[in-house]
Amino acid sequence: MRIPDEMLNILYGNYFGYVCTSDRFEQPHLTPVFFIYEEDSQKIFFITNDRSQKVRNITENPNVSITVDIRDTINPFNNEGVMAQGTAEIKENEPIYFLSEDTLELYMEIYTEFKSKYRAVIGNKPLGDNDVIVQINIQKMVYWKGPHFKSAKISEEGTVIKVT
Amino acid sequence: MDNIKRKEMKWIYEDIVGKIPPFSLLSYQYSILLQLFFLLVLGLTLGFIFDLKIMSLLYGSLGIMVAVMWSMLILQLGPTLRQFRAPLSKYENELLEKYKEILFHKNHYEALPGLVIFILFMPYIFYYNPGLLDYWIGKTHNPVLLVFMSLLIWDICYRMGLGIWTSVLALWRSINLGKIAKNRIELEHTPYTELRALRKLDINNVFFGLISLLLIPILQIDRVLVSVIFVFVFFITFTSIISAHLISKVPWLPPDIYNLVKESSFAYIGTSNHGMPHITPVVYVFDGQNIFFNTSKEAKKLKIMRENNKIAFLIDKRDMSNIYENKAVLFTGKVQVFGLLDIPLRFIQMLRARKLFQEKYPEYTQKYSTSKSELPKAWQLTPIIARILIQVKPYKIIYWRGAKQITVPV
Repeated sequence: MRIPDEMLNILYGNYFGYVCTSDRFEQPHLTPVFFIYEEDSQKIFFITNDRSQKVRNITENPNVSITVDIRDTINPFNNEGVMAQGTAEIKENEPIYFLSEDTLELYMEIYTEFKSKYRAVIGNKPLGDNDVIVQINIQKMVYWKGPHFKSAKISEEGTVIKVT
Repeated sequence: MDNIKRKEMKWIYEDIVGKIPPFSLLSYQYSILLQLFFLLVLGLTLGFIFDLKIMSLLYGSLGIMVAVMWSMLILQLGPTLRQFRAPLSKYENELLEKYKEILFHKNHYEALPGLVIFILFMPYIFYYNPGLLDYWIGKTHNPVLLVFMSLLIWDICYRMGLGIWTSVLALWRSINLGKIAKNRIELEHTPYTELRALRKLDINNVFFGLISLLLIPILQIDRVLVSVIFVFVFFITFTSIISAHLISKVPWLPPDIYNLVKESSFAYIGTSNHGMPHITPVVYVFDGQNIFFNTSKEAKKLKIMRENNKIAFLIDKRDMSNIYENKAVLFTGKVQVFGLLDIPLRFIQMLRARKLFQEKYPEYTQKYSTSKSELPKAWQLTPIIARILIQVKPYKIIYWRGAKQITVPV
């Protein structure tokens, strides 16, 4: 079983997503991130700083959700997006070999792009130092377009088990 | 240097009270109650010794009561301003420092208006209308009683003067703060908590003015003095209301964030319950002071927010051509969900928010109302409150510009 095409289009067609974490007092925290989605394993990856509030929250509460959407200022019926919920794991900066080759390539590509854009601000340092890769194991995805919804459930092994 | 300055931020009265043992040991509310009690006991004792009428005792007690209520309001100024965090704007900071310096001037100018009132008032009751004296303490004027009475009169005059002093200065401060705030750049601002504190002090002053109406029974036989009190009440309440109003118009967000919030169309809200975070895009409006968004009655986020009203509210501006222009602001805090019960109390605010939505998202509002029959149940409008209105109440603000992250005090 595959997830609906509408979800794939959104997840592959966008760079930017919004990650929400919450701490042990259930105070939510929300930030924009560059992300990568991998269909085979149903995982989402993004890079962040190990001192960021997100990372602190994830160590207190691994549940996260990420939203990727396209918005229409004129017609709310054209607003569409995907929210994925799951658990986050912080992958230390050294081993990124757990990624498949394709993903790794894509990842490095976006990472390089990201770094080149920010070079003047953060310097030209390679992946490392304070950077960590966060892996989200997706458990549930919701897609909406206007008032219409679709959802998908994903098993621990990363296979789609239910689409409604 | 700074410490010395801070310690000096006291008035004569506050200074004296703070040093005398029984009072210095108590928090200021209790020390005021204790003073009331001392004065009252002293007054009543004198009253019995000199065989005064019940009415005289009541007038005296009323005078003491007014003085004490005034003190309770006015003595909040010192502690509030001492805790005041410096505004993040050079000019606003200078203004507030100057305000505090004049307010608590080391030459104790604050006693001057009171002194003037006292100097005018004493000859008035002794020479121009001695009837008032008889009305208060009877025909025989014992020196001890006169001294006690003068003390009481001084207490009241001094505080009346303080009322004038604080409200005039407050108005001056508010007018100038409003002017300076118009020329802010980038992240300059005075934090919300501080603006609220100033506004609260102004509202205290409104009550200060109203309390003086209690002096009317004491002065009722003298029409001139009664009209003076009315003028005083009008003056204090009027200046304080204007001052409070001006303060509530000062933006609590620095211009960079203000403009971002004002100009963006969409926001994302993060909520959380049972440990599971949830994100939804929303449309929102900003009236210069408050941020509102709305949701349908059936929305999941509404259910979550009713269980846990903590929220993260993010507005961002993406500019893929120039990443340094990427801006985002994150408000973390709580939400207030408006229900049917809020309609009577906050009707105007709700109407205004609704109007802002119609202006900001005319197409949206139209779509919602014209295609009503096609809408799923969750999106259909309910009368009066079209969708549920929610207000964001932030206690922390984080602002990003490019890759730079700045925490902005609220």
